[in-house]
Amino acid sequence: MDFALLRDAFWGLTFDGLALGAIYALISLGYTLVYGVLRLINFAHSEVFMIGTFSALVASGIMGVKVEDDPRTGWKMILTLLVCLIAAMLASAITAVLVEIIAYRRLRQRGATKLATLISAIGVSISLVEAFRIITHSLPREFPRIMDKTFLLSYAGADIRNDKVIVIVAAGLMMFALERFISKSRYGKGIRAVSMDENTATLMGVNINKVITVTFLAGGLMAGAAAFFYILVYENTSFKVGFFLGISAFTAAVLGGIGNLKGALFGGFVLGVLETYTSAVFGTAWKAVISFSILVLVLLIKPTGLFGESIQQARV
Amino acid sequence: MKKIISAIATVALVVGTAVAVAPAANAACSGKLKIAYQGPLTGPEAALGINELNGVKFALSKFLTANKGANVDATVYEVDDQGDPAVAGPIAPKVAAEECVVALVGPAYSGASKVSLPVYLSAGLSIITPSATNPTLPTFGKSIFHRAVLTDDYQGPAAARLIVSKNKNAKVFLVNDASDYAVGLQKTVDITLAGRVVGKDVTPTGTTDFTATIAKIKKSKATAVFYSGYFSQAAVFVKQLRDSGSKITFASGDGTLDDQFVKLARKSAEGALLTAPAIPFETASPKLAKEMTAMGMKPGVYTTESYDAANFFLDAIKAGNTDRASINKYVSTKSHKGLSKTLKFDAEGEVSGADVNGFIVKNGKLVLLGAIK
Repeated sequence: MDFALLRDAFWGLTFDGLALGAIYALISLGYTLVYGVLRLINFAHSEVFMIGTFSALVASGIMGVKVEDDPRTGWKMILTLLVCLIAAMLASAITAVLVEIIAYRRLRQRGATKLATLISAIGVSISLVEAFRIITHSLPREFPRIMDKTFLLSYAGADIRNDKVIVIVAAGLMMFALERFISKSRYGKGIRAVSMDENTATLMGVNINKVITVTFLAGGLMAGAAAFFYILVYENTSFKVGFFLGISAFTAAVLGGIGNLKGALFGGFVLGVLETYTSAVFGTAWKAVISFSILVLVLLIKPTGLFGESIQQARV
Repeated sequence: MKKIISAIATVALVVGTAVAVAPAANAACSGKLKIAYQGPLTGPEAALGINELNGVKFALSKFLTANKGANVDATVYEVDDQGDPAVAGPIAPKVAAEECVVALVGPAYSGASKVSLPVYLSAGLSIITPSATNPTLPTFGKSIFHRAVLTDDYQGPAAARLIVSKNKNAKVFLVNDASDYAVGLQKTVDITLAGRVVGKDVTPTGTTDFTATIAKIKKSKATAVFYSGYFSQAAVFVKQLRDSGSKITFASGDGTLDDQFVKLARKSAEGALLTAPAIPFETASPKLAKEMTAMGMKPGVYTTESYDAANFFLDAIKAGNTDRASINKYVSTKSHKGLSKTLKFDAEGEVSGADVNGFIVKNGKLVLLGAIK
């Protein structure tokens, strides 16, 4: 156990943990939104993320960036990055909506049990993973370096790198935008209404199908953004990239309070930082053990998560 | 009555399944004899498996050209274990049950070998592995186990010597991916480096974020890091290491020695020191390497050793041995002059008289430095 490392490298580990946490937070938003509205754990969400990473890769290819190329600069760089980001967000959003229409809607409309829908979710997840495993021949793919990675400044021993700053800031902006959407827009009100009481919402004239589609769309857009940020920092992807990240993001959502938007955000950042700290103190091999043990501990003390579930309260 | 019938049916099912999957030791083959190859043919490690498979295919095709009419199948019996013990476990009994498979080149990876060897032992299927370097494997494979390369008992110390030769005051940080191969290799490196080791960390396969490991490395003020593991994760690690601003020497073993490592890590791979108890096919025989490339198969790491292993088995078949027991006896007792070395296995199935070679990544290519003294 190396607490000395945590003390010495504290700010560096915190900064890196926040960048990782930003990615977790964006993905966990998808889990928490869908759970809040449908009481369903969307297992296919990790594959929505995975497809986003591959779309960013394809988009970079279309923009003419080759893996061997030097990083771009100026307007060309910004344009390429934006195109990849939008491509990832769109692909993930479309995938999320398609999954809802194909795998969940008919079951919901026929009054299927939660178990049946859960199995459908797992089935979609597995089939997407296997499809991409075959398409990619199980090989990992690298993402070209579009933006050069430089250190902006060094603060208290932490090396602040430009790509991680972008991830934290951009993720924060997106989460803020989503929060505004949920609390201010018409569809946002609809989402909150359905998460409170589906039947009453229908009686009040809320179009359930449209609201649910918008929920999946929003979650997909966030996951797509997370996919782009992931590939910007780590520069690689594979068919199974969704698995571990999906589990961590779902854990973050539960930690913060599943169905609770603020909980997902907080849980994501907390988990990212926690994983980094525990890796430093106990060794990377113990990361998962310690992180999930802490989750179990939190749930023992507060079963509805840190911020509480929002089933009865309009906190989505 | 119903209970009795279902009980009998269950027993019959269990017995039937057991009989069906029980390895057939020395059952006679009614068709052509098959040489098998086991290794990662799909999955992230596939590049290495395909290099070895090509060596076996090339040896087989040359044999059949020179010995037309030999009762050997022109196609290699491919066993894809993805380099993963979890995949190798279920498929080993199927391979053992194939009557016409009389010899197996492989398994390529140590972890997969550990689970497959006991099955092949009870089936009497002779194996020569061209690349599994974990030193404990003979205890699993016993009489059928043969290894065409030096073990990590030699590779580890050689890697340590290579690092020290570049910097006499080297301070080394050790990282491994918790696989059987990596743990075994790191142990031998650790012992040789002794007082020079300044820190260790374990990053299990599937780790995507190496932030904590890199923070540890920086704190330990290490001048070099030795990564024990395979190329796909090594590439991810070295990229993050370089992106964090670290310029320390990156060294690794034969699991990382592959063009895919350079391809995935690009500029970050530059200057990496790699070792392997293997000799490049182009160095061993430029003429044969050209011939192989012309056939559409590009030689890679361990192609030479696989080629030699396949040829040793083919020698046994040419000498008139057609069943597993006699082929095993042949390779256990006779010798074969191969491209990489003369294969003469001792009582443990190990070979001697070979070097561990050092490599460096220069200008995006793997360059042979030569034998490590």
